[in-house]
Amino acid sequence: MQNKTTHSLWLVAPAAIMVAIFFLYPLFFSLYSAVTLEDGSLTLAHLTKAFSLYSNDILFTIAIVLASVVVLAILSITISAMIVLSPFKSLVSLLGLLYRLPLFIPFIVTAQMMRTFLAKNGLMNNAFVASGMMTPMDTISFLGWTGIIITFVWKQLAFSTLLLSGAMAALDQNQIRAAQNLGASRVRILFHIMLPQVFPTLGVALVLSTVTMMSVLSVPLMIGTGTPTMMSADMAFRVNSYGDYNVANALGLVSYLICSGLAWFYLRQSLKDKGATA
Amino acid sequence: MTRLNIENLNAGYGNKQILNDISLTVEQGEMIALLGPSGCGKTTLLNALCGFVPVSGGKIKVGNRDITTLPAENRNITMVFQSYALWPHMTVAQNVGYGLKVQKVAREEIEERVHELLSIVRLAGLANDKVTTLSGGQRQRVALARALAIRPDVLVLDEPLSNLDAKVRLNVRHEIKALQKQLGFTSLIVTHDQEEALVMADRIAVLNKGQIEQLGRPEEIYQSPKTPFVANFMGAENQIVWTPELESSILTGNSEALFVSRPTNLTANQQVFFRSENVTLITNTSRFDNDNSVLSLRGHVMQSAFFGNNYRISVQCGEHIIQADHTCDLPANTPVLLSVPAHALHVYDIETSFKSNAYATIQTSTSFQTI
Ligand SMILES: Nc1ncnc2c1ncn2[C@@H]1O[C@H](COP(=O)(O)OP(=O)(O)OP(=O)(O)O)[C@@H](O)[C@H]1O
Ligand SMILES: [Mg+2]
Repeated sequence: MQNKTTHSLWLVAPAAIMVAIFFLYPLFFSLYSAVTLEDGSLTLAHLTKAFSLYSNDILFTIAIVLASVVVLAILSITISAMIVLSPFKSLVSLLGLLYRLPLFIPFIVTAQMMRTFLAKNGLMNNAFVASGMMTPMDTISFLGWTGIIITFVWKQLAFSTLLLSGAMAALDQNQIRAAQNLGASRVRILFHIMLPQVFPTLGVALVLSTVTMMSVLSVPLMIGTGTPTMMSADMAFRVNSYGDYNVANALGLVSYLICSGLAWFYLRQSLKDKGATA
Repeated sequence: MTRLNIENLNAGYGNKQILNDISLTVEQGEMIALLGPSGCGKTTLLNALCGFVPVSGGKIKVGNRDITTLPAENRNITMVFQSYALWPHMTVAQNVGYGLKVQKVAREEIEERVHELLSIVRLAGLANDKVTTLSGGQRQRVALARALAIRPDVLVLDEPLSNLDAKVRLNVRHEIKALQKQLGFTSLIVTHDQEEALVMADRIAVLNKGQIEQLGRPEEIYQSPKTPFVANFMGAENQIVWTPELESSILTGNSEALFVSRPTNLTANQQVFFRSENVTLITNTSRFDNDNSVLSLRGHVMQSAFFGNNYRISVQCGEHIIQADHTCDLPANTPVLLSVPAHALHVYDIETSFKSNAYATIQTSTSFQTI
């Protein structure tokens, strides 16, 4: 028995070592460097500095991410519900194809695209002007926080809709029919029958999207207006301009905490949900 | 609860037509069983009634109300599903009360009705349990209570018992029947178990390839099936095609011949169906009287199977294999004489142009029964 356990330990060792070297070590090293001085003593100096320099950006990041996540949730629920519940099948299959396109476009290309689309003299405004709906004077630039949100949502919508509509389509069709012949409308079916059952999937989609948004550099750099900007841009700036890894890592620690905060909220919510129906 | 009237209903998926010209009236408080082999369109018919499958022709009426094109949520017809289709995130009480909640009935009234229904289906103590913790039989009773809660005009049940094991199935079967008598709901129940249909239904509609082959009281369907398909489906699994050759072999009266006698109502180019329970088997093959009121034939035992109250003996008679019930076991190759009284024979003409078609039907239904 004892022998067997040691044996199987040896089997997982290579994988465990890989994880430790390439994942755990860098992670802990960066966390460590966020809270220590050169001589190895613990300090809050880097964190304090990060907050004093970038507290606005941290708030800005949180606001952007929360706004994007809310819009993302609303839109992906709407689109998935339309795909799964709509009686117009041909329209739905077109929609089903369209919403997936952003999945295959990298963030940097998306950012570039949105830049030319949303700028003051960009494609969107030009189209409005050409169609006579606006004069060149009235046009406003969407670059800045709205642009960042639009870009994040545009890019992540495909991902979360894919997860969500998959989960909705996997529900037993008869559950929906049972609600229907008890007199429930489509909207009621969505809120009473489908959403409670796909809530965990929605949570996963939103938490993963948050992590992605926190880590993307190209969007705040290309769509943002400079100040305030997102934490990922600040981190890049600290490293590239000052070689200041400590403050960059301190910012990293903060964004890590924000993500875990969201994950905790999601976990608590889904546990509470289970508890309520148990 | 009111009467359901289906007139010349046509329905299908895309351009694949499944239901052809179905006409059926379910009287108020009546339970009709839809019986038929797999794929014949039973579920499709129920779905068309509920509004899940669009109707391409004909009319559906509940009382005086034409509901043919009404959306599912306005029909007031509820369905009990084979897979229960309960909502796993809700409790038993929430499942049962959902239809009333949708109708915006007051909370106390919902509670009262849920309580009443749960005691009717004998689940009174389980109101706050999660449905995922219930057994199959309990789940199906919750589904039944849920469907009855809104007092539907018509209740349809799609093989409500086939996910349950044999014993539970009998229990729930009795419960549904008792409830139906007590509450008097108009209902259609789908099954492909003939015994279930016989026991539960006031009338039976036998469906084949999207058409009603026969509609009648259980006794009628069982004792005088109108078509070879119905005869075969209702358990008359022995079939003999009475060819002109067989007819002439009888007339010559050869003592070695396969057939010893036939009743006078059987003539050439007919086919005959009968049940194994109506076959009398004797091992004394020398004793034969040329009796014009029985079909009798010679054969050898192929195998016998123990069925509890009797043995089901397979007898090879020339190219036919006949199943006969017998009180004791017989070794293989025992020569036997089989006889079937005329009243137990279901005799049908074979129209020559129709012949191949009739065979095909019988083939499929036979293979279905052996599954
Ligand atoms: N969603 C669908 N799309 C296309 N064809 C379908 C669909 N559902 C069923 N069919 C076809 O319709 C025919 C009838 O199916 P139906 O489900 O009504 O049979 P059934 O009598 O209920 O059989 P069973 O006893 O196996 O449940 C079958 O040939 C089936 O292939
Ligand atoms: Mg079916």
